[in-house]
Amino acid sequence: MSYYESDASILAVENLSVQYDGKKIIQNINFEERDVIRSGRIQGQTIAFVGRSGRGKSTLFRSLAGLERPTSGRILISDIKKQSGTEHPPFKEVEEGDVGFVNQNYMLFRHKTIYQAMEFAMRKIDKPSAEKQTIITTHLKDWGLEDVKNQYPNELSGGQRQRTAILEQVLSSTNYIILDEPFSGLDVGNIQNVKSAFKLINRTHELNTIIFCTHDIELAVSMADSIYVIGYPTMENGRLETIGTLIRKYDLKSKGLAWRDDYSSEHHDLVEKIKVDILNS
Amino acid sequence: MIKSWFLPFEKISSKHSALISSIWIVLLISFWFIATSGEKKLFPPPDLAWQGFKDLYSEGLVTHIISSLWLCLQATTISIIFSLGFAYLSPIPIFKPVVAMLSRMRYLPLTGITFYLAMVVSDARSMQIWVLVIFMSLYFITSLLSIIKNIPQEELDHARSLQCSRWEVLWEVVIKGRLDYVIEVLRQNLAITWMMLVTVESILVAAGGLGVLIKNSDKFMNHGRIVALQIVILFVGLGIDIFLNFLRKTLFRYSKI
Repeated sequence: MSYYESDASILAVENLSVQYDGKKIIQNINFEERDVIRSGRIQGQTIAFVGRSGRGKSTLFRSLAGLERPTSGRILISDIKKQSGTEHPPFKEVEEGDVGFVNQNYMLFRHKTIYQAMEFAMRKIDKPSAEKQTIITTHLKDWGLEDVKNQYPNELSGGQRQRTAILEQVLSSTNYIILDEPFSGLDVGNIQNVKSAFKLINRTHELNTIIFCTHDIELAVSMADSIYVIGYPTMENGRLETIGTLIRKYDLKSKGLAWRDDYSSEHHDLVEKIKVDILNS
Repeated sequence: MIKSWFLPFEKISSKHSALISSIWIVLLISFWFIATSGEKKLFPPPDLAWQGFKDLYSEGLVTHIISSLWLCLQATTISIIFSLGFAYLSPIPIFKPVVAMLSRMRYLPLTGITFYLAMVVSDARSMQIWVLVIFMSLYFITSLLSIIKNIPQEELDHARSLQCSRWEVLWEVVIKGRLDYVIEVLRQNLAITWMMLVTVESILVAAGGLGVLIKNSDKFMNHGRIVALQIVILFVGLGIDIFLNFLRKTLFRYSKI
């Protein structure tokens, strides 16, 4: 089992509820994630959300990204801009633009080439232009996008679009990236690309946190270090409520299942457990 | 091979598409010749139309075409500036009802408007331009509103997640991100503009233009000239359409509308 420590809190969601036109979509969402420390290496966090369709995953994600105003409750994230020295940054309430958001269609600016998109993503970063260009060039190389840097989104393959959409958020300097069903409709090769991108992000900064949702439970178990099941809770009369909330959390780190290259029988057992949770909610 | 030409949704090569189009053109021209070859003529025969075209050419057809194009260009430029201004205001809640109302005004009849314009505008040329501007703008606004309305929420969210302020979202996604659509709107509305142009040109006969020519030909029942003019108007319109499409593809490499 990989040795690790949990440091300060990096994400806290308190009593979150969201409703549209009087209809509650999610309610009483509470969870906290802490910075994971592994000696001798930079280790970001990977958090997965699973659950049936229509249980409020997308609403929760839009709220976490600051794109949806919660009806009640709050979402707190680390305020990197106010970090002093080696101290852990203080908390702040999430606002639009604080958290990178990549939707399942890997949306990009249709009128910008990849290079222009990266420049735009970095526009608010206080660094000299030459340094920004070096960073962009290095990242484009690392992410296998250098050859297509002058192409527009409609000239890219599916895999290139995915990498561009994720890299854009990485360069935008936010440590939090939310991906809404990033594996939906991808072939094996592209899934591998996205998995590699996740690893790359996780190893770049201690506070980098990837939050994603998927219907592929095996994939969630093999990649995440925390998994949350979102669904409808069971009422006293045995029926399901119709407002989404968190049903269960699985901490894969404490189970010794996180950051492993193999897929063991324990992983498989956990998948089965999660499937039962999903089916019952 | 030919069997596939009659199969619904069958994809055929561009060579075959061109061949089919050519066949239809030949059929149409043949029909024109055959249908007008008898004694009773419901439609002017090709030779009469050709004679009409030659007469028109010798009477300065090119000058009239230039006059019409110049009027069209002036009115289009003003109206597209107005329309874009209003359409770009539409995402701002306070202006939304105003822009929506302007779009609905396209149901207003032309006659009423010309009466009020005549009181405000003194010279006939300005009158021509402003009648066109008003009507074109209403159609442009309607089309531009539809484009803005069809921008997926995901695209707006993408910009917001990259720390764009709401004004930056408007600039990047709606204004810059949809510039190519403006040319497409021009193309789509060109037919109605072209149709109105002919009507509007009759306001000022002295300024000339294709509208004046067609009105005069109609007055003297010169059917050959009318058909020739119709064909000229059709080809000039198609020419503008091809030019705008070329412009869109050249200026905006990413544009795949």
